[in-house]
Amino acid sequence: MNNTAASDTKVRRRDKEVYNTNYVKTSRWERWKIKYLNVGFLGHTIFVIFRTVFLIGISYVILYPFFAKISSSFMSRNDFVDVTVKLIPRYPTLDTYRAIINDNYYLQALFNTTILSVFCGFTQTLICSIIGYGFAKFNFKGNKLLFFIVVFTMVVPHQTLQLSMFMKFRYFDIFGIFNLLGGGDIKLFGKVLGHLPKILPFTSLNLNNSYWPLALLSLGGLAFKNGLYIFMMRQFFKGFPNELEESAYIDGYSVYRTFWAIIIPNSFTMMITIFLFAFAWQWTDNFYTEIFFTTEGIKLMPDVVAVPKSLDTQYAGQNLYVAAIRNTCGLMIIAPLIIVYLFGQQFLVQGIERSGLTAE
Amino acid sequence: MNKTVSAAAPKKKRRGASLVARKARAGWVFVMPFIIGLVIIYIPIVIDSIKYSFNKINILQGGGYSLTFVGWENYQEALFVDPSFVQTLTSGVQQLMFDIPAIVIFSLFMAVLLNQDMFGRAAFRAIFFIPVILNTGLVARIDEGNTLLEYMENTSETIETGTENSAVTEIVSMTDISWLFQTMKIGGGMVSYVTQMINNIYNIINRSGVQMLVFLAGLQSINPAIYESCAIDGATTWETFWKITFPMVSPMILVNTVYTVIDSFTSSTNRVMTYIADVYNQAGGNVVSSAMSWIYFLIVILIVAAIAAVISGYIFYQRRD
Repeated sequence: MNNTAASDTKVRRRDKEVYNTNYVKTSRWERWKIKYLNVGFLGHTIFVIFRTVFLIGISYVILYPFFAKISSSFMSRNDFVDVTVKLIPRYPTLDTYRAIINDNYYLQALFNTTILSVFCGFTQTLICSIIGYGFAKFNFKGNKLLFFIVVFTMVVPHQTLQLSMFMKFRYFDIFGIFNLLGGGDIKLFGKVLGHLPKILPFTSLNLNNSYWPLALLSLGGLAFKNGLYIFMMRQFFKGFPNELEESAYIDGYSVYRTFWAIIIPNSFTMMITIFLFAFAWQWTDNFYTEIFFTTEGIKLMPDVVAVPKSLDTQYAGQNLYVAAIRNTCGLMIIAPLIIVYLFGQQFLVQGIERSGLTAE
Repeated sequence: MNKTVSAAAPKKKRRGASLVARKARAGWVFVMPFIIGLVIIYIPIVIDSIKYSFNKINILQGGGYSLTFVGWENYQEALFVDPSFVQTLTSGVQQLMFDIPAIVIFSLFMAVLLNQDMFGRAAFRAIFFIPVILNTGLVARIDEGNTLLEYMENTSETIETGTENSAVTEIVSMTDISWLFQTMKIGGGMVSYVTQMINNIYNIINRSGVQMLVFLAGLQSINPAIYESCAIDGATTWETFWKITFPMVSPMILVNTVYTVIDSFTSSTNRVMTYIADVYNQAGGNVVSSAMSWIYFLIVILIVAAIAAVISGYIFYQRRD
């Protein structure tokens, strides 16, 4: 305190000598008033308060259903007929969880879905990166047209292709080659021309009820929302400086080795973003799993959503109780996803931030 | 001498062309997975789907199926015979026209807010992207008409099943708002639109996750120097938003509008989609559903093209020369 006062006087004396001015230091109160009691600061404060309240409000809207679902998942039957019970269960119980695990093949479904989603997530990420890189950095003939087709695959509603997709994988064949080798009829304009000797034991493969349809779609970059991933990766790679690759070429790397050793390691954040999307959307997917898997086949997450046999729902609170059970199923389905999201969310934002996504 | 030159020349020429050719070939190799998938799986599926929509299909007992060509019959049935398809279609399109501006404006607004420096930004972002990851597919289907959430929200004892789904039932009472705005001479349509938007906020948040990400990415790519020079020239935040931020993210508005249209048209919770799925499930592979979805697809394409054409006229592209 003493020290600063001394230095203040020193400075003031020097100012006096140099500029020949004589001014008084504004008091702390004055400075505070100038800094904080003006329209700009007031406006900013109001804005910050509004913003915080608004963001907290929206966060509440997003998170509230989760709280409601979590609390209701611990409620017992009696709580649903008791009108005084809202968020906090009076007779907490784990019966719902126990019944779902025991009756709904939850653990099997968890195991199978993990395999499927991890596989699909990895393949789709890798394949979409490769395809996106091809679209971003190479000017081959037909680049624009092919990319238009990618956009087209995004636009066609799934339901349009539902039936034919089922049929395609129910009677899987590549240009009639299996049919030909399996000794099936060779048809041309509806007329049977004859058939070859039987080489294969089948004329078409039934790939439904296996992981094959989704694996093949993932490998072709045609699975759920893959058009979007290809689009995102393409935009991301377009932001890469060409010099990076050129220097690698000069150092003797081939195009493929450059991609593998330079491009991939530099795009991990974006790839994790894509993986997160692909993994999560495959995990909760009910469209493709319901086309390709019957309920008797491999147990997957859609099979979990059902009222367990051991729970008696025939009573006054039936509607609510059934709804609560279904929501508990939903919670158990997304529980592993929440953990993945907690680890992955930082990459989600970073990946997007660094993508330099621009529309062209 | 002359001979050797002519022998060497083509060789040299080939080597010169091979760099470009090799790069072009590498491009083909990179997109090859997509091409193979397209040729083996996708194109046959699309062709089959078009074919089925002109046929009647019978699944045979011993495996296999037979088709009988019926021409435009399925389309006629979808458009003229089916009692509720056209109605569902028009109401679906109408709903979308209401939803697009709400979703795009909301996601832009949220992206601008989440882009600002503030306390707890990372936490807010993490919360806002939860719906993109978690509320999809199965969970979205469970949430459709969720009696539980309605019950949790309502303090009244009576709950009716099958009422319209919204996690936050009536944040704003319609009567309050219209009373407030009646004196301000704002049209009733506008007021009901805004209140509808607020009451549907849960739905809108759920559907605007990817759009928010795209807008955030767009905002990040704006050069901070532009904002700095604006601040030096004395522009207010409001002016900066309309003169800098808005034009710079306008390409994103196009992308997001198109994405919103496609996403809400193809989402499994869409009313038309559920209707088509119902028709599909009713008769175990009814081909009328194929015809319906092709009609639907044509309408989607037309709407996307119209919107893209209108918006792209107003877009500002930053020249980077």
